[in-house]
Amino acid sequence: MNPRNSPEWLLTTVTAVRDLMIKRLEANSLDGEAKREMEMALEELDVMWEELQGQAALLVCENARYAEFFEYAPDAYFVTDGGGNIREANQAALELVKAAREDVVNRPLSEYVASEERVAFLTRTVGLVLGGATKPSVWQTQVQPHEGAALAVQFSVRAIPLKKNGIGGLCWLVRPLRE
Amino acid sequence: MTHDLEDLKAIWLDLKAHVEQLAGERQHYLDFFEQSPEAYMITEADGTIRDANPAAIDILQCRRRSLRGKPLATFVALERRAEFRTRMKALAARASPAEGCWRTIFVAAGERTEVTLTARPVERQGIVGGLCWRLEAMQ
Repeated sequence: MNPRNSPEWLLTTVTAVRDLMIKRLEANSLDGEAKREMEMALEELDVMWEELQGQAALLVCENARYAEFFEYAPDAYFVTDGGGNIREANQAALELVKAAREDVVNRPLSEYVASEERVAFLTRTVGLVLGGATKPSVWQTQVQPHEGAALAVQFSVRAIPLKKNGIGGLCWLVRPLRE
Repeated sequence: MTHDLEDLKAIWLDLKAHVEQLAGERQHYLDFFEQSPEAYMITEADGTIRDANPAAIDILQCRRRSLRGKPLATFVALERRAEFRTRMKALAARASPAEGCWRTIFVAAGERTEVTLTARPVERQGIVGGLCWRLEAMQ
């Protein structure tokens, strides 16, 4: 999470503005009307602060719970954008393709599909993007990890809104096939 | 003064946008959890249930509210509980590989169901802060 977007940042900023206004009031350099306006603004700010505090605390708690679940889910998951580029990969997915997060994010998911399966993979992906992936689509293919032999897996794909802009992305569950 | 109030309004709008962005991020992960056709649960490291998605609730046949705070072990058949606790403790202590997978028997609404459990520890600043579970009921 960008530190500037964190609830801690929000609360620190509101508190800083509030402190600044109190200092100005204490400096007593304002005329009567200006002082009243400042006091009213301060009250408004207190209400905003409480509202934000409540919202931020709830969001941070729920964010952490569900984001943690994505990261440590007992299944390998990738989230891709409409162009098939990986936006997110969880721990199990990184272990599956034997690669570091910085090597995976923003790369096309097709790079981890065995070369002989890639055309079929791309055809299906285009179909899912155009069709909206309203129902999970399931098929078997081969994943080529960064190192080592290809692995037989089952892809299960469904639509998911992307984190930043809510535009439709795809959520890929990749499960190795039991031999 | 007008300047101060305008500044305040601008800051408020900025803060509101940030809260909305946070809400958007929460929605993304919430959708991931809630809409998954896989049955998933989140527990504390000791097995106390924090959340379950609709697919998991179907298996446990229990209302969501009453699930929260309940030990997951209460759904495991009595004769399998010792094994369940041993495996869960090993995962929480990271004495086993990153993931644990085993078959057990769940008892939900009086019915016994064979279930495959897969669990993975959640790491928080180097310690296990919880467990993520997948439940697969055998047909």
